[in-house]
Amino acid sequence: MAEKKKLSTAEILAMARGKAAEASAAKPAGESPSPESAAPASELPAASAEPDSAAAVEKKPAPKPAAKGGARPSVAEMMAMARAQGGAKSAAPAEKPPTEKKPVEKPAAKPAAVKPAAEKSAPAKSGGPKDTASILAAARGAKPGPMTKAEAAAAATSPPAKPKAVAPPMPTKPDYAKPSPKPVAKAVSADESRRGFLHVMLGSFLGIGMTSLASVSALWTLGFARFMFPNILTEPPSRFKAGPKEGFSPGTVEEKFKAQYGVWVVNGDYNGQQQIYALKTVCTHLGCTPNWLEAEQKFKCPCHGSGFYKDGINFEGPAPRPLERYAIRIADDGQVEIDRSRTFQEELGQWADPASFIPATA
Amino acid sequence: MAGQTSDFPAMHFPALLAAGGLIDQATFLSGVKGFLTIYYLGLAITNAVAAFLLWHHWHRPKAALVWTIVATVFGGILAPMAGSGDPYWTPRMPEAIVSFLNSWLSGQVGAIVYTIGSVVFLSVLYLGRDFFVRPMVAWTGLNLALLAMGLSMVNQNFWQVVSKGDNIPIVGLMFLLGFFTWLATYRAVINDKRIAEGLPPLEKLDDEKVLVWPDLVYTELVCMLALTAFLLVWGILIQAPLEQPASSVKTPNPSKAPWYFLGLQEMLVYFDPWMAGVVAPSLIIVGLMAIPYLDFNKKGMGYYTINERKFAYLNFQFGFLVLWVTLIVMGTVLRGPNWNFFGPFEPWDSHKVEALKNVDLSEYFWIGLLNRGLPKAPTGSGFFVELGYILLRESPGFILMGIYLFVVPPALAIGTTLFRNMYLKMGFLRYMLMTNLLLMMAILPIKMALRWSFNLKYIIHIDEWFLNF
Ligand code: FES
Repeated sequence: MAEKKKLSTAEILAMARGKAAEASAAKPAGESPSPESAAPASELPAASAEPDSAAAVEKKPAPKPAAKGGARPSVAEMMAMARAQGGAKSAAPAEKPPTEKKPVEKPAAKPAAVKPAAEKSAPAKSGGPKDTASILAAARGAKPGPMTKAEAAAAATSPPAKPKAVAPPMPTKPDYAKPSPKPVAKAVSADESRRGFLHVMLGSFLGIGMTSLASVSALWTLGFARFMFPNILTEPPSRFKAGPKEGFSPGTVEEKFKAQYGVWVVNGDYNGQQQIYALKTVCTHLGCTPNWLEAEQKFKCPCHGSGFYKDGINFEGPAPRPLERYAIRIADDGQVEIDRSRTFQEELGQWADPASFIPATA
Repeated sequence: MAGQTSDFPAMHFPALLAAGGLIDQATFLSGVKGFLTIYYLGLAITNAVAAFLLWHHWHRPKAALVWTIVATVFGGILAPMAGSGDPYWTPRMPEAIVSFLNSWLSGQVGAIVYTIGSVVFLSVLYLGRDFFVRPMVAWTGLNLALLAMGLSMVNQNFWQVVSKGDNIPIVGLMFLLGFFTWLATYRAVINDKRIAEGLPPLEKLDDEKVLVWPDLVYTELVCMLALTAFLLVWGILIQAPLEQPASSVKTPNPSKAPWYFLGLQEMLVYFDPWMAGVVAPSLIIVGLMAIPYLDFNKKGMGYYTINERKFAYLNFQFGFLVLWVTLIVMGTVLRGPNWNFFGPFEPWDSHKVEALKNVDLSEYFWIGLLNRGLPKAPTGSGFFVELGYILLRESPGFILMGIYLFVVPPALAIGTTLFRNMYLKMGFLRYMLMTNLLLMMAILPIKMALRWSFNLKYIIHIDEWFLNF
C-alpha cells in the first residue's frame, strides 16, 4: 500500500508538471527542460512503472516529432521518455525564448551532452524553476552533489548565458557549460567565508525559511522584552493627605481612599486604645481586596472567606495574619498624612510603633 | 440586553442580576419557558431514539415500550406544561425537597452534609456497581438527573447559578464525567466477570491493530470538525461571562477561580496559601508522576478492571472524584458571597452571617488544655531563643504531624495485611513514599473535617516565617 502511495505521489508530481507545462505551452515553458535535466541520473525506472511508464512506452517515439513539430508533448511524457532513454538523451527540447528557439532546438537535441545546457537554460529564465527542478531532482535521488554546484555556477553566470545562447547556437553552449562549473566552484571556495555565509542563509528555501523564522522569533523576543516594561506610572505618590483628623469620627471606617490609594482609614479601638490607623486593603491570605461590611462590622474577603475585625485582626477563614497598617501621622499643616511606603505588621509587634497610628479620643 | 434580542435564556441572566437578584416568578418563567420546552422536548427525543434502538437493534420490545412512555411523558406532558409559562403549571421541584436541601446544604452543616453525602453516594455506586452499571439502570439514573435539573431550573436561585456563562461548562462536565465513569465501570465490571470465569478481558478479544493513518486521523478530523461546529454554536448562543472593568475597589463577590481551579480554591480555605497554592499542587503532580515507580501491580494493563487493581482504583477515584470533582461542584453551586456555604435553592444573601472564630491547635493545647498562655519569647531575646519558643509553642502540631507521617505508616504495615504485603513488596523507602503521599492526600479531608468540627485553623502556625499548616 505504501509503495502504491509513493508511486502515486510521483505521478501527481508528474501530472502537475505536465499541467504547468501545458499552461505555459503557449510561451516557451521555462520549466519543461528542467525536469529532464533532472532525469538523466539513474532515475528510478520502476518508480514510474505504473500508468506513467505505460504512457512513456507508448509515447517513446512521440516526443521527438513533437519537439520538431512544435506541438509539445506534456512534460510527464517527456519525463517518462527521458527516464526510459537514460541520461544521454535527456535534453531533447531545450526550449528557449520563442523566436530563436526553434532553429536552436533541433540541433541542440542531438548533441547528447546538452545536459549542462539544459540545466543552464532553466536558471537562465529565473530562480524559481531552477530550484524546483533541483529540489525535485534531489527528491528523486538524482545526483545531489554536482547539481548544487552547477546550480551555483549557473546562478553566478546566468545573465550572460541567455544572450550568448541566442547568438552562437551550437558550440557556445557546451563550451560555456563545461568550464563554468569548475571556475565558479573555485570562485566559491576562494571567498568562501563571505559567500558561504550568505549561501547558507539564503541559498535555499530551507535556508530562507530558517533565516526568516529566526528573524521573526528575534523580533518577537524583543517585543516580549518590551512588553515586560509597560508604559505606565506604577503608583500614585506614596504619601497623601487625608484631610483633618476630625474628619474621622470614632468607630467609623472611611472607605473613600480605597479606590485610589488602597487604604481604609479607621478610627477604632485597638487593645483598648482609641486610635486612627490606616489599614492596607489587601487580604493577607492571597491578596484579594476585602469588603467592609458595615452591618457585621468586619472586613470580609470574597475570595476564600477570610474575616477581619475592625482593628484588622483576622478571626475567620484562611488568612494567617492581620491586615497590615500603613504609616500615618499628623503633617505640619495639621492634616492626616498617610505614607504608603511603610507598613506595620501586627504579628511582628509593629503596631506598637507610634508611626502606625494617631492617638484619638473616643 | 433585557432578553429582547434572543430567546435563549442565558440572555436573561444579566437582566436577572440587574434586578438585584430575584424577579417576579411569572416574568422569570416567561423568560425561560422557551428553553425549558426545548429541554423537555430534547429529553423526549432522546428517549424516543433510545426506545427505537431498543426495539429495532437490540430486540427488547418491553424496554422499548417503557422508554416510549417516558418519552411521551416528557414530550407530551412536561414540555407543554413548561411551555405554558404559568407558575402554577410549570413543573418544579416539590417544595419539601427544596426546603430540605436548603436547610441541609447551607452553612457549616451544609459543607459537612455535602462532603459526607457525596462520599456515601459514590461509595454506594461503587459497591453496587454490578447493578448500577447496567445500561437500563444507568439510563434511568441519567433521566432522573436530567429531570431533577429541569425541575430545579424553575427556581430562580438555582437558575442563576446554573445558567451563568462560567458554570454551563461545569454542568456539562458533570454529565460527561458521569458518562465516562459509567463507561469505564461498565467495561470493568464485564471484564471482572470474564476474568473470574477464566476468560480473557474484552479488550483482548479484538486485538486487531488500527492504523494511525487513515483510521485514527480521520476520526480525529471528524471530531475536530464536529467540535468546532459545536463551539461556534456555543459562542453564538451564549454570551461570554464578562464583568465590569477591573477595579481595585470592587472584588466580585464571590470571586471564583476558573472552574478547573475551584478544587484548589476550596483547598485554600483550609490551608495557608503557600501550602494550598504551591506545595499541595506540586505534591499532586509529583505524586502522579511517582505512581509508575510505586505501582508493583502488573495486572490491568490495557483493559478496564476494578477487581484486579482495587487499591489503585479506589485511591484514584477518591482523589479525583471526591477531592477534585465534588470540590468543583461545591465551589460552583454551593459557595456564594463571602465564600459562605449556600443551599442550591437558597438566595445569595451577601449579608448572611456565619460567625466563626478559628482557633489554632497551639491555642487549643496551651490555653484550652493547660490553661496557660501561649509560650512567648521575652521581648528582645535573640533569634535562637525566639526559635526555641516558637518550636515549643507549636510542638503539639509538630508532634502530631510527626506521628501522622512517620508512625502511622509502620503501624499500618504492622496492623493490616494489605499494607504489610505492600511493605514486603515495595521495600522501606518506596513504602514510606507511597504512604506519605497517601497521607498527604488524606490530610485535606481531615483538615476540612477538623475545621468544621473544631474550627481548627492551623495545626502548625508559625506566622513569623509564613509557615502554616
Ligand atoms: S485572598 Fe482573602 S481569603 Fe483568600
